[in-house]
Amino acid sequence: MVEITRYEARRRVRGTVALSLGVGLFGLLMIALYPSIATSGVDFAAYAESLPPAVQAGFGIDAIATVEGFLAVELYQFLWLLLLGLYVAYTAGGTIAGDIESGRAELLLAAPISRARFLVEKFLSLLVPVAVLNLVVPLFVYGGVIAVGESLSATDLLAVHVLSVPYLLACAGFGLFLSTLVSRANVAQRVAIATVFALFLVDSVTADTDFEWLGVLSPTRYYNPTEILVESTYDVTGAVVLLVAGAVLVLASVASFRRTDL
Amino acid sequence: MSVLSVRGLTKRYGDTLAAEDLSFDVERGEVFGFLGPNGAGKTTTIRTMLGFHAPTAGTAELFGHDVREEGELLRAKPELGYLPGSPAFDGDVTGRGYLDFHARLKGDERREELLDLFSPPLDRRIREYSTGNKQMLGLVQAFMHDPTLVVMDEPTSGLDPLKQERFNQFVREERDRGTTVFLSSHVLGEVRRICDRVGIIRDGRLVALEDVDSLLDRGGKRVRVHADPPLVAAELDVPGVVDFERLGPEARFTFTGDYDDLLAALSTHSVVDLEIEEPPLEDVFMHYYGAAPDDDAGDAGAPRDANREALEGAGGG
Repeated sequence: MVEITRYEARRRVRGTVALSLGVGLFGLLMIALYPSIATSGVDFAAYAESLPPAVQAGFGIDAIATVEGFLAVELYQFLWLLLLGLYVAYTAGGTIAGDIESGRAELLLAAPISRARFLVEKFLSLLVPVAVLNLVVPLFVYGGVIAVGESLSATDLLAVHVLSVPYLLACAGFGLFLSTLVSRANVAQRVAIATVFALFLVDSVTADTDFEWLGVLSPTRYYNPTEILVESTYDVTGAVVLLVAGAVLVLASVASFRRTDL
Repeated sequence: MSVLSVRGLTKRYGDTLAAEDLSFDVERGEVFGFLGPNGAGKTTTIRTMLGFHAPTAGTAELFGHDVREEGELLRAKPELGYLPGSPAFDGDVTGRGYLDFHARLKGDERREELLDLFSPPLDRRIREYSTGNKQMLGLVQAFMHDPTLVVMDEPTSGLDPLKQERFNQFVREERDRGTTVFLSSHVLGEVRRICDRVGIIRDGRLVALEDVDSLLDRGGKRVRVHADPPLVAAELDVPGVVDFERLGPEARFTFTGDYDDLLAALSTHSVVDLEIEEPPLEDVFMHYYGAAPDDDAGDAGAPRDANREALEGAGGG
């Protein structure tokens, strides 16, 4: 029943493995730098206080002196939240529009497959990078933290990855929806990353300001790695909001794709 | 019941009318040629009648199932094979991997038999394929689940003459075992070799629907005669000579009459050289449907040249 997902997933494996190793090694590099930064006598508190309150809150910089805070700021808040969000939105943006543009879609849809199934299976294949990254990278991070003689709550680390799945799926859902609306793949991809980036910025710079409500549409509002790692606070409601948003976007994509001329 | 029934099918993109009020039926076991110059609306018609594009008006039925309803369309698809024009594949997959994938979606009971006829390099990645190899891979996937109806858009484009001949032979055998074939082409010679019946489309409208034989009778042949002394029109009083013209020592005309009469008339002359060939599709339009197709100037030369080339290629092979 999931032949398309299997086929697409297999095609994504190689790139996913490379990306996971890359992110994992980058994590190790950052962690390797931590002991020398921590013992350098830099006054992180003063550094944090010198930044505007919105930035302090947005990037969780006030906790940067601890290993949890350091990981949150250097790895999760930026690389995971922003870059991987952009990556899945971009990848999803290329799926449907790319298949239609190239003519691959009509060749596949000549087989007895409904458009809904085609689209959902394509979406499910995006679980490959989402799942593999979340399985591989925490091993690098945890191993790295132990190796430099620090400690980290394994539960919090697990939570930061588990709760990132709804976030990444919501980003993927958004890219997928654009992919059914726009007929050119590269336009869908560019709009997807531009939108996710803009929402990230809006949410970041309005945090703790009178304009905080502006970030309510941003998926980054519902997943906060700093809170999880530094305060062990898990925003389960936020995760549910993201899952619902992802599901709504997939349903909207199905409705849109069913009316599309291939 | 017709295998394919097109009813008033119309497709409009904005201001462009790509297909207008097309109606025709394709019966079980026939090879139907959908003939028209490039840009006439063949591909749009095919995509719309298979449900890939939503019709602006009218509809098509595959095995009695309305293609506008996805549920109905899905019931027809197991019996459908489809080869798009210039089929697109995933370049990072091998030919075998791609066929395996399609096999899981629709079956492949005839795969091996087809690969004996059409032999793309299965273990190479598709991005390394030539146009001809992609076309062969497309043909194998179109027929491998043994469908009742196969729809092909310009199936021989990119095939070398030898493979084209193999394809023609294959299509005739398929018809004999009961498969219905719908294929589009802009090459009259190709259609006359393998099709039983032809629909001709021009500017999105169906201008003719007839048996291949009667089409050819109406289309006639291009004849060039180099006689010494040169032939003049008055000397060639044979029924079926149309558009006689002289170019230097050579006389050219379209001939729709009886060859015996023509040869008898020529036998009284000293013939240095004689050529009888298929007319380009444009000439068929010109002489028998009133006017040349309204291609823009840049496009008009291409199909004609391609046509000649294909005819010569097929004649040689």
